[in-house]
Amino acid sequence: MSKEELLARMGKAIIEGDKDEAESLAKEALEEKMDLIEVIEKGYVPGIKKVGDLWEKGEYFLPELITSAECMKSAMNILQPEMEKAQIQAQSKGKVIIGTVEGDIHDIGKNLVSSMLSANGFEVHDLGADVKLEQFIEKAEEVDAHIICLSALLTTTMLGQKRVIEILKEKNLSDRIKVLVGGAPVNKKWADDIGADGYGENAMVAVKAAQQIIEE
Amino acid sequence: MLVMSSRIKRIENLKIEFDEQRIFRLIGYKKKSQEIKEPIKKMIAEEKKKLEYLLHPASIYTILDYNETNKHPVFKDAEKVALCLCTIGPDLEDEINQLMEKNEMVRALILDSLGSEAAEEVAIQSDRRLADMARELRFWPSKRYSPGYGKWDVKEQKYIFQVLPGKDIGVSLTESCMMIPRKSISFRINFYKNKKLTTRKNTIQGKSNDRNNQT
Repeated sequence: MSKEELLARMGKAIIEGDKDEAESLAKEALEEKMDLIEVIEKGYVPGIKKVGDLWEKGEYFLPELITSAECMKSAMNILQPEMEKAQIQAQSKGKVIIGTVEGDIHDIGKNLVSSMLSANGFEVHDLGADVKLEQFIEKAEEVDAHIICLSALLTTTMLGQKRVIEILKEKNLSDRIKVLVGGAPVNKKWADDIGADGYGENAMVAVKAAQQIIEE
Repeated sequence: MLVMSSRIKRIENLKIEFDEQRIFRLIGYKKKSQEIKEPIKKMIAEEKKKLEYLLHPASIYTILDYNETNKHPVFKDAEKVALCLCTIGPDLEDEINQLMEKNEMVRALILDSLGSEAAEEVAIQSDRRLADMARELRFWPSKRYSPGYGKWDVKEQKYIFQVLPGKDIGVSLTESCMMIPRKSISFRINFYKNKKLTTRKNTIQGKSNDRNNQT
């Protein structure tokens, strides 16, 4: 099979959500000693981009998006150790800190956004749930992150999102570190009112918002 | 106020049924089920099967005279107040966590949606029985209201847990007043003498109506 055919199959595996195929092709790429950056950039990434397009057209829904993100992660899990050994680094689309704010233990929505961001090339540092507000900022400074994603599922914990933005302003970090907010009770108005840089109504919108922030 | 344990009762014979279309909507589909891909449908069926051993629905309640309550303004004008705490138990959430660790996010999402729906079903059935009890006592039941909605602050969860022994059905409260397991619901129903004080559709019975009797 030609290299082009192999790369095309990688993209197809992601679009079709075929985890076994995505993994087996990643193994084949290692055996064939293919250029792993090319494998990611020209094989798998076009697949996940197409998935985003299909979602925008209303042909794909959340389960398909997540299935494709799972496939991407499975393939990356195979490629990553070899890339580290060879000291090759795939180009990150940006660094993101994500977590559910203090007092809130919901995490499935946050995990879905985290998966989608990783699948779309972001370097994601997931701090988990019930994360102290200062911890978001400390971690962002430590890894020089571009974006903090704050999830809140309660009307009470939504206030934590506002507070993080305030702390960033107090520390003069708001130009450097942007904030995306999301969660069931959160809406565009709330995001605007508290001065967030973006609002992730769902996992894919969060990815688009993150991409937009990086492009700006 | 402490309530005598004999006044804490359980809602028995809770049966959980699922509306498949609602599950499709909950996991993010807007289209008809026949257009949903077979692998996803298969996953839904497989996760649904797990519910046989993952769901442990339980519901406890008590009915207090107004003077026995903490007289919070939301109880105003009620002759009696029913307080209720429902859960589906911790096993489903443990399974979701394991699925997420295994990068099985779609299955985790499906199971989470099924769990939300199951918890809601327990609350609906508990609400319906308590409303019937109110009617038997010749009162007009209000809709069900949970802490965190309207003028009943989420901190009032602490009051509910003072009155109802959450530990009896394995439910606890965090510092920030979240319930663990997360798929748990607490609520009140006010019992009124005057029909005009309630907006509950008291004359219409049935599931679809009861689903709307919540705030």
